[in-house]
Parts: sequence; structure tokens; C-alpha cells
Amino acid sequence: MSRLELANLNKRFGEQVAVSDFNLTVEDGELVSFLGPSGCGKTTTLRMTAGFESPDTGAIIVDGSDVTDLAPNRRGMGMVFQGYALFPNMSAAENVEFGLAVRNRPVAERRARVSELLELFGLSHVGKSYPHQMSGGQQQRVALARAVAIEPGVLLLDEPLSAVDAKVREELRTEIRRMQVQLHITTILVTHDQSEALSISDRVVVMNRGAIEEVGTPTQIYAEPRSAFTAGFIGAMNEIPVRVVSGREGLVERDGRRVAAVGAAGLSDGDLALLLVRPESLEPIGANLAALNGDLTMSGQVEVQTFLGATTRLLVRESRAGTDDPMAMPASRRLAVDVPSSSANQWPAGSQLQVRIPVGSSRVIADRSAASRPF
Amino acid sequence: MSNPSIGGEATEEAIAILPGVHARSKDARRTGRSRRTPVWSIVVLLVAAVYFLLPLYATAVFGFSTGKHFTLQPLWDGLGDSGFQASLQLSLFYSVLTTIIALAVVAPTAYVVELRFPGLRSTIEFVSILPFVIPPIILVVGLSSMYGINSPVNLIASSWAPVLLIGGYFILTLPFVFRAIDNALRAVDVRTLSEASASLGAGPARTFLRVIVPSISLGLVSGALLAFTTAMGEFTLAALLGYPTFPVYLLNINGYLPRAGEALVLVSFFITWAGVIALAAVARRAPGTQVVRGGPM
Repeated sequence: MSRLELANLNKRFGEQVAVSDFNLTVEDGELVSFLGPSGCGKTTTLRMTAGFESPDTGAIIVDGSDVTDLAPNRRGMGMVFQGYALFPNMSAAENVEFGLAVRNRPVAERRARVSELLELFGLSHVGKSYPHQMSGGQQQRVALARAVAIEPGVLLLDEPLSAVDAKVREELRTEIRRMQVQLHITTILVTHDQSEALSISDRVVVMNRGAIEEVGTPTQIYAEPRSAFTAGFIGAMNEIPVRVVSGREGLVERDGRRVAAVGAAGLSDGDLALLLVRPESLEPIGANLAALNGDLTMSGQVEVQTFLGATTRLLVRESRAGTDDPMAMPASRRLAVDVPSSSANQWPAGSQLQVRIPVGSSRVIADRSAASRPF
Repeated sequence: MSNPSIGGEATEEAIAILPGVHARSKDARRTGRSRRTPVWSIVVLLVAAVYFLLPLYATAVFGFSTGKHFTLQPLWDGLGDSGFQASLQLSLFYSVLTTIIALAVVAPTAYVVELRFPGLRSTIEFVSILPFVIPPIILVVGLSSMYGINSPVNLIASSWAPVLLIGGYFILTLPFVFRAIDNALRAVDVRTLSEASASLGAGPARTFLRVIVPSISLGLVSGALLAFTTAMGEFTLAALLGYPTFPVYLLNINGYLPRAGEALVLVSFFITWAGVIALAAVARRAPGTQVVRGGPM
């Protein structure tokens, strides 16, 4: 039996649809992230799960029991809020103890549990400190310890790291994952930070305009996005025009070269489509080598180099960009190519570059703008 | 008359104690454009000081002298007067009761309005300031007509009569208590704190008492002080409803022991101030009260 089931959830605020036909099953001990831009309905879904909003229709089922109409304090879910929401009149230890006191646990048991959790989160030295005396990272750790102290059936994290600085954020997300695995807590994380979602989740739910765009493991979401929205939202993605040669056989064509591509099977023959390729998958090559192997290639002029640390991103204006050629990229788009920073000086701004497009695992999606583009 | 402590340099030093202001005053000194206190502000200060302190001085001179030299005898006469203790006890009883009722009614109401019915805030705010436009004399006439001997609800002649006085006090303290508590509630994130508490299993009552009340303690203390002092000093309602409270007694004693009356006025004035300062100091030391920065105190 699944730990949490969100069935056909719908929610409107006035005329605005906040959540639409949301269906999700979360297994015991799983960490699932809701990822999407602001206003996509991820926080509303989380708040409905917690009981702070009521769904217009649908059901929230925990361990087989319908909790849709239960008050938040009777759902047994722990929640961590964006702004910590620590009780300002209580010390760190008292904050962690609060939920246990509400449950009338014996004092000795409470003290032992608080001590254990402060230790687990590296907070033993600030147990007697009040929230205003602690750093943002410490406050968020206390909020986490407080939420897990009650041994919640489901732990809900509402953008828990958005209020801390970048370095602490990275530390804390690793800590959240470590804690979640160690305590085996079923967890839902709401975030708009794709790296956060991809780095610590078992599964990611990509949301857009109140609906689920797609659900998958971080690897699936990143490497094989099934929608243009996911492809564009998760990391940088090149959309390279191709034509479907045979939908049945899953073949696409570009500049007379035919290759098999994932996703082409669902498209009609002759349609224009977009091949989705990550910047790090494009490989700079010499012109002769490409012709020899029969690979799909693109060429253009390097416009900008962006240093990203281990890699450098080259933004390339494709040679045919903006022309009427159906295989040309739009004039406003640039091809992003990631190369090792150690060799980036081979392609300074203004230089010509040819890249090989790997197609083995690249996905093809319908080109929704094709109808308005000249052939 | 001049006051050397209000000169430009002294004021600048005082301002420099405030965080964030120090750098600016140093810059001003460096550029040679040190800010001088305008003459008009000194004049206003002096006029205000004379306006407020002169009556106190006159009261002190009258209450603690025989006309020629200082004496505490009028104070002892007042403290020994038969009506003093009874009237003070009566005032304290009704003022404490009013304060407790005001806090018990206004704090949960303001919390529920802030949390569940934010749209009603402006209506509640308007109702709370009605006592400012309805003078106590109108209030007492209204109460007497509504609950007097000719009314079907005759409270005045019943053992429930004190309800009229406490009810009147409550209405008069409403603007101060509501404003103090509402400001404190708005300075903390009531909704998120309440949700955090609920997520940990606490019901609404526990959330209010264990989380919200301590977080708005400064607002509650200032509301309590304002309610208590308003009720303690209220004259019109008590006099017209026939309650010999402390203010009514002070008026009466002036008729037969005027110096004692003035001495008691002055002493009660300073005792009230000492109480206010002591309570404020205690509230400031309460843990976690820093979050109500921008609150009423």
C-alpha cells in the first residue's frame, strides 16, 4: 500500500485554476519533489495535503485512510515552512519539544528525543538559544528537527531552503536527504530550484499551470524530458529542428541525414519536430570527421563564452539562423555548447565551430511553433 | 532660562547612540556641517515642559507644605482618612477586572480576525474607535436609560449593577487595547506560526495560548497598562453611576482635606508611573519579544 495518495485534486481561487486533476501516489520512504515555476500550483497542492487548504474536489489518502476533511493538527504530518516559522518565545530545544508536549509524551522521553534530534542535526550547542540568536541555517535545522520529532507519517517541506544563502543551501539539502534516508520518512519537497529537486529526490513531479507536466526520476526528467516545458525548465536544453521521416520507424532527418530518435514514433511523417539536446552532449568536431561518419551536425559562429567552473558554455549563432530554411534555428535562439574550460580557448568569440549531435538517447518532440513558421 | 544639555553637541551624541545614525553624524562633523538643534524645537520643548510640570509643581507645593515649609502631614492625613482605602480597593478591583476582561475578549478576537477574517479588520477597527467619538457622559446616560429602573432590563437596582461600570470601562478601554494587540499581531507572522503549531498537532486553543500569546506579550502588556490606567483614572462613569472609586474620592476629599487630596494625587501619579515603567521593563526582558519589533512599545 502506498503511504500517500493524492487523487484527482482540483482547486480554484475565484476564477483562477490553482490545481487541476492532480493525481500522485507516493511510496513509503520516498522523497518526491514538486518542481515548477511560481504560480504552478505546487505550494497549493502541498497546503492541501497538509490541510491548510481544502480541495474543491478530490481526496487525500494516507495509509489507506481518507484525511481530506481532517483538521491539519489531526493529520500527523510534519511541515517545514519557507520562513522557518520557529516559535520566537521558545528556545531551539523547546521548539523541537513542542510537538511531543502536545502529544503528552512523558518528560523523560521528550528530553531524550530532543537531545537525540539536536545531535542528529548538529544543534546540541544551540539547544538553549532562541531563534533570533541563531543563523538562518541553524534555524532551518531546528525547523527540520521540530518537524521530524513527532515522527510524521509524511514530511512536507515548503521551499525550506529558499531563505538561506547558496553555500548553506547546498549543505542543508544534503543533510535533508541524509536525514530522510536515515529516518525513512516519506517526504514531499516543494521547490522551484531544479538542482535542489534533481539532487535529492527519488522522483520529481514537474508542474505547470496547476497540472502535472510529467513525473519521473531525476535522470529521466533531465535526460529524457517528455515535454518541451520540462525540457526548457530543467537545465539548459537545445531545441534543434528536424523533420520526421517515419513516425512508425522512429526516424528523423536533418540536412539529408537520417537517424533514429526517441519519441519520433508518436509523430506524423513529414512533420517538423524538435530534437532536444543538452549543451554538454554536443561535441565540437572537425568538419571532415563529421562528414565521414554521417553524423548530424550543426555549425555556426561563437558569440559569447560563459565560464561555469569546470565547463565553459559557448553560445553559438547557427549559420542559417533566421533564414527561411525549415532546419534553421530561430534568429533569437543560440545553440549552447558546453566544453571543458581547459580547452575553451580553442573557440574564442568570433571563431567558427562545428558540433556533432548525438541522437542515440536524444528525444524528439512536436514543434508547436512549426505551423507559424515558413517552410 | 537655558538648558545646556539640549545644545547641539549633546543632541548629536545622543543621536549617535542609535544604530545606523552614527556614521551619518560623523560624516556631518567631517564636512563641517554639524546639525544644530533648531531654536523653535527648544522653545516647543520648554513650553511643553512648563505646561506639564507646572501643575505637578503646584500640586506638590500645595500638598506637601503648610504654606510656609515642607511637610508630609497632609499625606498621612489622606492615608489615614476612612474613605481612602475603600475607594482605592474599589478602583483597583474594577480596574483589574476590566483589564482582564478586555484582554480576554480583545486578544482572541483580534487573533481570529487576523487569521480567519482579515476582511473584517477595518470594521472591527472602526467599532473599536467609537469611544473616541462618544463621550463618557453620553455613554452613561445611554446605559442608565437602557438598564435603569424604568427599563425592562433593570440592572442598576440589581446585584448585577457593577456590570454597567465594568461594561462602560471596557468600552472606554477598547480603542487602546485593540490597537496595542492588533499592532503586535500584525508584527508577527500569525498565520505561519499558527500553521506551524497545527502541523505539530496543537489545537487552536493551545496554539493561541502557547504560541501566539507569548509572541505578542509586549502588545498585551501595553494593552493591559492602557486599560488599567484608563479604568483607574475614569471619573464620569463612576461618579454618575454612584460608585465611590478613587477618582471620585479624590474629588470629595478636596472638599474637606484639600492638602491631603493633592498629596494623594501626586503620590498616585508617581506610583502609576513607577508601575508602568516596571511592567514595561519586565516585558522587554521576555524571551522572543524581539520579533515584535515595530510593535506598540
